[in-house]
Parts: sequence; C-alpha cells; structure tokens
Amino acid sequence: MLTLLAKLLHALNSDSSIRQIALAIALGFIVGLSPILTLHNIVIIFFVLLIRVHLGSFILAVGFFSGVSYLLSPVIVQVGESILTRPELRELFTSLYQFSLFKLAHWHHTYILGALILGTLLCAPIYFISKIIIEKYRVHIMSFFEKFRIVQALKASKFYRLYTSFAGESSLTKGGL
Amino acid sequence: MARFIRWQGLATFIGLSILVSVFFYLFAESLAKKALISAAESAFGAEVNIEEVKLAYSPLQISVIDFQVTDKDMPSQNLFSFDRATAGVDVWQYLFGKIIIEDLEVSQLAFSNVRTQAGEVYLDSKAEDSQEDSLSEQAKAMLPEVDMKLPDVNTLLTDSNLLTVKATQELQGSYKTEQGKLKSLKAELPDKTKLKFYQDKVKALGKMKVNSLADIEKIKTEFEIIKGEFKADQALVKKAKQQVQQSKELLAQQLSKLKSAPSKDWQEIEKKYQLESIDTEDFAHILFGEQARGYIQKGQWAYEKIKPFMANMSQENVAEDKNSHAKGRFIYFKEETPLPSILIKKALFSVQLDQGDITVKGSELTHQHWIKGQESLLNISSITNGELIIESRFKLSQAGDFNATGHWIVTERALSNTNLTQSKALTLSLKEANLSGKGNFNLVNRDIVATNNLSLTQASYQGQANTKLTALLLDTIKSLDHLTVDAGVTGEISKPSLHISSSLNDALTGAFKQQVAGKLNDFKQKVNKGLNEKLANGLKLGDNQAAELLDLEALLTDTDKALADLKNSDIVKQQQTKLEDKIKNKAKDKAKDKLKKKLGDLFN
Repeated sequence: MLTLLAKLLHALNSDSSIRQIALAIALGFIVGLSPILTLHNIVIIFFVLLIRVHLGSFILAVGFFSGVSYLLSPVIVQVGESILTRPELRELFTSLYQFSLFKLAHWHHTYILGALILGTLLCAPIYFISKIIIEKYRVHIMSFFEKFRIVQALKASKFYRLYTSFAGESSLTKGGL
Repeated sequence: MARFIRWQGLATFIGLSILVSVFFYLFAESLAKKALISAAESAFGAEVNIEEVKLAYSPLQISVIDFQVTDKDMPSQNLFSFDRATAGVDVWQYLFGKIIIEDLEVSQLAFSNVRTQAGEVYLDSKAEDSQEDSLSEQAKAMLPEVDMKLPDVNTLLTDSNLLTVKATQELQGSYKTEQGKLKSLKAELPDKTKLKFYQDKVKALGKMKVNSLADIEKIKTEFEIIKGEFKADQALVKKAKQQVQQSKELLAQQLSKLKSAPSKDWQEIEKKYQLESIDTEDFAHILFGEQARGYIQKGQWAYEKIKPFMANMSQENVAEDKNSHAKGRFIYFKEETPLPSILIKKALFSVQLDQGDITVKGSELTHQHWIKGQESLLNISSITNGELIIESRFKLSQAGDFNATGHWIVTERALSNTNLTQSKALTLSLKEANLSGKGNFNLVNRDIVATNNLSLTQASYQGQANTKLTALLLDTIKSLDHLTVDAGVTGEISKPSLHISSSLNDALTGAFKQQVAGKLNDFKQKVNKGLNEKLANGLKLGDNQAAELLDLEALLTDTDKALADLKNSDIVKQQQTKLEDKIKNKAKDKAKDKLKKKLGDLFN
C-alpha cells in the first residue's frame, strides 16, 4: 500500500503526464463503482494495461471508489432500477437482452447497469477535475507544503526513502508501472 | 502508436487472467464450502458442517459431501443431514445470472439423527414452540371436558333449586297462610248456637200476644234490631266466601305449577349435566385429532419455511427498499426460450425415516412458473413398508397467487406402537395395525381444503382409562378390529378447522352409547321417581286443602241461607194479620151482639 501511495505521489510530483494520471483516476472510478469481476470492468482493465495510463493511480482510484460505491449503492441501484424498468426503454432492453453478450455483462442487473451508467456519465467530469487538481498541486500545493517542518521530517522517514527509490526509476515509471 | 500503447500490458493482462483463473481453480471448492456454511448457518440459526465440496467443470457440477445442520432445539441432534448432494449447473445460464440445475440428487437425507458432537446454536427458538405445544395440549384438554360424571340422585333430589321442591314449598306456605286467614274469618262467623238463638228469638216474636198496634210496633222494632245483626253476619259470610274463592284460585295455580315442575326439572338436569350433548364424534376428535393436528403442524411448518422464499421471489419486480447497502436485482426481459431465474429441472432425494426409506422426485422446481407455463411436480414414494405415494403439483402466478393440488395413497402400511392420546383420563396407543388410505388436498394461497380417508385393519390397541366413561371408550375401541377415519381440513392454513368422523362413531353408537344410554335411563328413572314422589306429596297436600275449602264453602252457604231465611221472615206481617183478624172478629162479635139485641127486642 505504501508502495502504491509512493508511486502516486511520485507520479504527481514527477513529470508523469497529467492526462495519464487523470485518465487513470477516471477509469478507476468506473471500475470502482461496479463489482470488480464484471465484463465491462475486465475490458477496462485490459485497456488500462494496454494503453499508457498511470497504473498506481488507477489501482488507488479503484480502491477508493469501491469504498465510495458502498456508500452510493442505494443511488446506484435506484439509477439502474429506473432505467431498466422504464416502459419506453423496455423494447430496447428486450432486443438487447436477446444478445448473450448483454446478459453476460449483467447489464440487466440494476446495480451493475446503474454503476456503469453513473461511472460513464461522471468519468468525464472526474477526468477534468482530476486534471485541474493535479495541475494546481504541481504548481502551488507541492511548493507550499515543502515549506513545512513536518514535511522536512517526513523526508527523513522510511516512506521517503521508498519514494526516492521510485524517483530514481523515473525513466521506468514515466507513464508506466 | 508506441507513445500510447504498451504491449507489455497485454502480457500482464494475460498473466493476470491466468493468475485469477488458477486462484479460482485452486480455491473455488474451499470458497464454495465457506459460502455454503455461512449461508446455511444464517438460515438455520445453528452450526452447519460440510465435509467437502467438490467441483467438476465439464459439465459444471457441484457436490456437497456429508452435510449436517444442527437442530437448534436439540444441539446433540441434526435437524437434517445428507451424505451427498450433487447438482449439475448450466454454466452459460449461470453467467447470465440464472441458476438452472439440470439434475439435483441428494442421497441419504435423514432427519433428527444424532451428532458426534453437539453443535453450536446461534438463534433461540422458544417462541416458535409455544404455539405447537398449545395445539397439542388443546386436543388433550378435551377429554376431561366430555368425561361425564352423573350426579348422586339423592343429593340431586334434595337440591333446593329443584322446581318441584320449590313448588311444593310454595304450596305448603300458601296453604298455611290461607288457612290462617280462613280460620280468623271462621271465628267471626255465626255458629250453630247463634243461629239457634236467632231462630228462637224470631220464633218468640212470632208467639208474642198482639192486642194493639203498639204491640206490632214493638215486634217490628225488635225484629229490625235482629235483622241488623243478620246483615252484619251476612257481610262476614260474604267476606269469607270471597276469601275462600281467592284461596281456591291461588292454590289451583300453585298446584298446576307443581304438576309441571318435574318435567321442567328433568330438562334442567339434562342441560346442566350435558346429558343430551354427548356426541361420539368428540371421541374421534380426541383419539385422532392429535395425530391429525401433528400432520397439519408439519404442513404449516413446511409452508411457513417456504413462504418467505416464495414471497421474496415473487416480488422480484418490486423496487428494492433503500438501505445502507443495496445489492440490486436482475430484471428479466422476454426471450425466445425464457427460463426462470432459479430452476431445478430434475431432483431426486432419498430420505431415511424411522418409518422407512422414502424417495422424493421433483421436476421443474421453481418459483416463477408463469415463465415456462409449467407446474412443479413432486412425487414422494416408498415401498419399504407397504406402499406410499404422494403426488403434488404447485405453481405460483406472477401476481403472487399460490396454488397446489395433490393426492396421496397408502396401502398396507404396517404401524406399530403409535401413540394416539395421552392424558390423565385416557392413555391410548396403537399396538399394531395395517394402514390403508387415500386423500387429496387443494391449497389456494393460504386456504386449504383437504379430505383424507384412512382405514386401520387388524388393529390392536393398548391403554389405560381412569374414569368410567374412558373405560367404556377403551373397551369399545379395543373390541374393534377394523376402523375407518375420515379427516377433513378446511380454512386458513395457520388456523384450519379439523373435522374428523370415524367408524368409531357407529361402534360407539352401537356399544358405548347404548351403555351410556342405559346408565342415563336408570338415572332418569330414579330422578323422575323422586320428583314424582315430591309431586304426589304436594298434590296430597293440595287435595286435603281442597276438601277443607269445600267443607267451609258448604258451611258458609248453609249459614248464608239460614241468615237469609231469618232476615226474610214475615213475623211482623203475621202478627199484623193476627191483630187485624182479632179486630175483625171483635167487630163481628160486636155487630152480632147488636143484631141479636135488635132481633131480641123484635121477637121479645
């Protein structure tokens, strides 16, 4: 866990692409909302591994948003319920239901469809918000925090040693693992 | 392209997929075992043990070996256990979110077998038991209620609440009162001496010498004085007559009441001691009701256990309540070959019971019958002891209506040492018998209608009776070699009404009822004899009183007549006539003398 956190902080402080980190958080949001072993999550994980997205940020985002999804579960179910039971969409879902892929993805489950819809709708705002926050962090917050004595003290800790060890591998971690 | 894609990620994905697959392959059985134990413990509220869970992947088949559920009421026993359960699951449908079991086979299913080690209990079940006890005790409690104890005849006849006794006492009281009244009146009435005195006085007035009108006036005055006395006496006689009439009416009324009292008393005795309400059907209830209620309770237990699952599943289309962690649900849409969310196409259970081995076969077991339009079928059979066949079909509609029908047949099933009833008054058990029977049932939602006909042949009973009545019952039932019982169950399943009739009724009508009737007749005769004696005493009293009244009435009539005669006596008139005659005679004599004198002068 500490390693992952160190990687995230390093990514935030290093030259890692802001878009890569923001995209990792946005995709982590979609994956985190639904149960991990769903078809759309497996596809997202496949793409996360395949394209250059910051993996540490993605894993942390999945962990964080899984917790959030537990709290949001009534809302998620309600969204799925209202979409799947909407009379005007019944015909559409009936035709989709004839495809095995639709059933295999469990998109006829209120929680999974609700999570996918919420995740897809909110991933774009989350991407842009993340991007803005990372930019602000790099410009203002990082230099602001470094002035504090406690940060100086932290720099002397084991965690910082770990962090610097990743910093040394900056060429490897740049947008990658 | 390489700027955006990292090809080593593809290898990582494949590696991860293999890793996850291997993890599941290695740990799936332990994970399934853990999940099954946890779900079963939460459902049954007691420790659940599973020896092993095996998974086969082509086709997907799950086997549960040595499954034991602790009985939370008796932790040293299992609620049920089985040696092996195997279910072949349709993987493709499972991935679509449906549990379609092609074949479910459960072998050596046993109930209430002893555990090697007492299991832990997580839920208390005391509250559930209370209702079961109360129903069973209710059946037993019926015996003392109908256990007839005839009252002692002498005690009964001295009961001051008897109408015959009351009427006799009333008659006696009235007689005394009336007698007192008449006695005081009688004392005031003119007796024979007084009447003689009146007669003598009137006679004396009649004999008085009358020489002048002054004498007549004197007689008249004296007669008027006596007449005044007559009037007063006549008024007394009149009053006495009225009193006699009143007494006669009152006593006649009370006599009539007394005459009808014994029959009223008998009606009251019959009512009070329920001599007419003893019905042989009560005994059929007592003897077989407990057993029947036992089966009904088993049915209720099964229904109550299944009901929540049915209710939950039939409400799948209803939105889930908002809670802290909602899990969601599958929404199913129309498809070419629709399937329910849970379906067991074929099931086979081999069950071990004390009464013998039973095979339970099921097909199309589901809670969404409307999807395939097929009913679930259950077939229970046994050939280890005679033959038992139970067939049932059930279905649940989309609206939540539950409908089940079925029938059962038992032929030549040997019974031994079956307890029928156990109470203070009667203990009865079936030592041995051959049971045959058939029945059918229909359950619509919570309303049940069931008819069951049972026949016991070559039956022998044993038991103990502690009252005269139950002894008679025991003797009668022991003398029966063949017995039929018809039991009907109707009404709401949680509180059904049970109607039991039996050939025991006829036997009791022939034997037991005859003996009870004899005893009753004897009792009735004794009671009626006693009541009639009381009536006769009362009537004798009434006769004496009537005779006395008649004598008094005659006396009053005589007195009244005598007084009237005296009052109407023409004594004054007679004296006046006498005086007039006397005057006339005197005048005649005077004229005669005068004429004589004149004629004498003439002839002289």
